[in-house]
Order: sequence, then structure tokens, then C-alpha cells
Amino acid sequence: MSTAHTEAAASHDSGHAHDAHGHDAHGHHGPTFLAHHFDTPVQQFDTAKLGMWLFLAQELLFFAGLFVAYGIYRSWYPEDFSWASHQLDRFMGGANTIVLLFSSLTAALAVRSAQLGKKEQTGILLLVTIVCAFGFLIIKYFEYSHKFHAGLLPGNLFNPDVHHLAASTAGLPVPAHGGSFFGIYFMMTGVHGLHVIIGIGVIFWIWLRNQRGDFTAEYWTPVDLVALYWHLVDLIWIYLFPLLYLID
Amino acid sequence: MSDNHDHGHSHDDGAVHPHIASIKLYVGIFLALIFFTVVTVALSLIHLGPLNLAIAILIATVKAALVVTFFMHLKDDNRFNALVFIGSLLFGGVFLAYTLNDTDRRSEVDHVQGAYVYEATGERAPGGRPEVERPVQPASGEAHGAAPAGH
Repeated sequence: MSTAHTEAAASHDSGHAHDAHGHDAHGHHGPTFLAHHFDTPVQQFDTAKLGMWLFLAQELLFFAGLFVAYGIYRSWYPEDFSWASHQLDRFMGGANTIVLLFSSLTAALAVRSAQLGKKEQTGILLLVTIVCAFGFLIIKYFEYSHKFHAGLLPGNLFNPDVHHLAASTAGLPVPAHGGSFFGIYFMMTGVHGLHVIIGIGVIFWIWLRNQRGDFTAEYWTPVDLVALYWHLVDLIWIYLFPLLYLID
Repeated sequence: MSDNHDHGHSHDDGAVHPHIASIKLYVGIFLALIFFTVVTVALSLIHLGPLNLAIAILIATVKAALVVTFFMHLKDDNRFNALVFIGSLLFGGVFLAYTLNDTDRRSEVDHVQGAYVYEATGERAPGGRPEVERPVQPASGEAHGAAPAGH
């Protein structure tokens, strides 16, 4: 580690961008993917990872506000939440859980094949992940349109049409605070869905870079980081599914 | 920072030496996640009272732990990254606990303002616990007016 550094420093940083694998003997700084303010690839890798984890921590704290809102209102209106939860489609919610879990698997496998330098396989796995993300959004679209149709909307817009409500709540009075549940439901799933849409964008960007040949068995950090982001989206949904869809 | 990256055998060439897990492990974790999803749906259909929520959160946490440990590689990662992650969870917990401690107990501590009913409608205000609730005053202003404040 230290020899590479000192030799590179001694050689006036001469043209390190010109070849792919600079060797110490030639006085190059290092491989092309190594930014000049890092000593070694592993230092650059650790720095990027730490930055990503800090971002993910921030994401968790951001979602924490929504989870706290959920906790307050569920604790205030438990019966209303139970009624409203029964209006959600458990089958679609469960299907979306499986779609997201599967996309997490393909994202993890994409990182693995990138680590092994298998460019083609990485590309295919990233595309499968994107397809799953679209699948998730399509299912979500059907769920949302049903909620709109049935008047299961946030706050003052909450005006359920009794003909479109779930059979399991037939005969039960429409709760006064159902709008609170649907406010939280649309906010949490909406912000989560926004993360899915952003995920499609960034995974597609990494796919483009992969096809361009940016990544090798020595350098695959961006694939790793985009997968971390995608797993976080999955992680949030792992909690959203039981908390929103499966209230007794 | 880089010293946490070796896995038994030490490399000091400055290159990244990831721990590459087998496809079998990843697929196994995925199947475990599907299994727990089915379990949580099945258990939600059994009425267990407040236990339902506890079980749902427990199972979700087991699933989250699997994702974080294996898919997100925290098992083989720099420990500091795990600290960042767990630290944010802890502070999220503090946020939730302190907020609920307030919103669930307002009626217990808020005797002075008598915040049991909405002034406008007389409807029961959230946060009141039935066992400590005082009789609802029909006209919300009256009780305060009758108090010996006199100014």
C-alpha cells in the first residue's frame, strides 16, 4: 500500500489516466478507476460504502417520520385502522412483497456477478431487477385505482362507496377516521413508490455503465451501491406490508 | 478502515478483496424470506389480539435482518457501516418511543387544559384513555368559566 503511494507521489502524477492498470514501476498512480485523491482501491471502496450507508441511514430516519405518524394514529384509532386495513388487497400486497424480494435477490446476484467480472450476466440481472420494479408499480397502480374508485382516500376526501368495500367488513359502520389511515397509507406507499421509480432510473444508469464496460472484477463499486439502495427499498416494504395490509 | 476487509487471510496490496458468497446462499436467503412472508400472512388470519402486531413486527425484523446481513453484506462489511445503520435504527426507536409516550398519554397529564374533547364539536379527542377520562362537560367553555380564576 505504502510503496505504491510514495512512488506515485514522487512521479508528479504523470498521466495516470492513460492506461488501465498502471504499475508502480512505471510511476503511474494506479488503475484508471482510482480517483487521484485516494491512495488505494480499497480506500476508495470503503469511502464510497461509508457514504452510501450514511445515505441509507438518512433514508431510514426520513421514513421514521412516517412510521411514527403511523404509530400515533394506529394507537389513537385502532378500530378504524383495522377496518381500513381490511379494505386493502392482501393478495396484491403479498404478490408485491414477493416481487420485491425476488428483485432483491437479482440485485444481490448482479453484485456477485459484477464481483466475478461477468459483465453479460450482471447486465441481465440488472434488467430483471428493473422488470420487477415495473411489475411492482403495475400492481400498485391497480391497487391505487381501486382505492380511488371506492372513495378510500386521505383525510376529508375519505368517502367510501359501500358497494366497493371488502366483504370482511360488510355490515360494519364506516369509521370516522378512515381518512387518517388512507392519508398515511398513500403517503407511505407513495413515497416508497417514488423510491421504486428512482430505483428504476439509477439501476438503468448502472446497467448502461455496465454495458459500456465500466466495471471489472477489480472495480464494481457502483453496482454494489445501487444494490444497497434497492435492498433498502425492499427493507422498507418488508415493514409496510404487515403494518398496512395485515392488521387483524 | 481497510483492515476489516480481510477474511482470515490478509492482503495488503490495496485492492478490494470481496467475500463472494455462493448463489446457493443467496437463493436460500430468498426462499427463507418467502417462507417468512407466507408465515406472516397466515398468522395475520389468526386472532391473537395485541400479539398479532408484535408477531408481525418480529417476523418483519427477522426478514429485514436477513436482507441486511446477507444481501447487503453487513456480515462481511466494515463494522463501522453496521454501526451507522444500527445507530439510525436506535435513534428512530427513540423518536417513536418518546413521541408515542407523549401522544398516548396526553389525557393523563393534561388536566389543566382538560383536553378530552374537541372544543368545537364536543367529540372525544384522541389520546384519552377511557379509565382516566372525566365526565364530558357538555359546554366546553363552562367548566373553565366556573373555575375560581376570576380575571
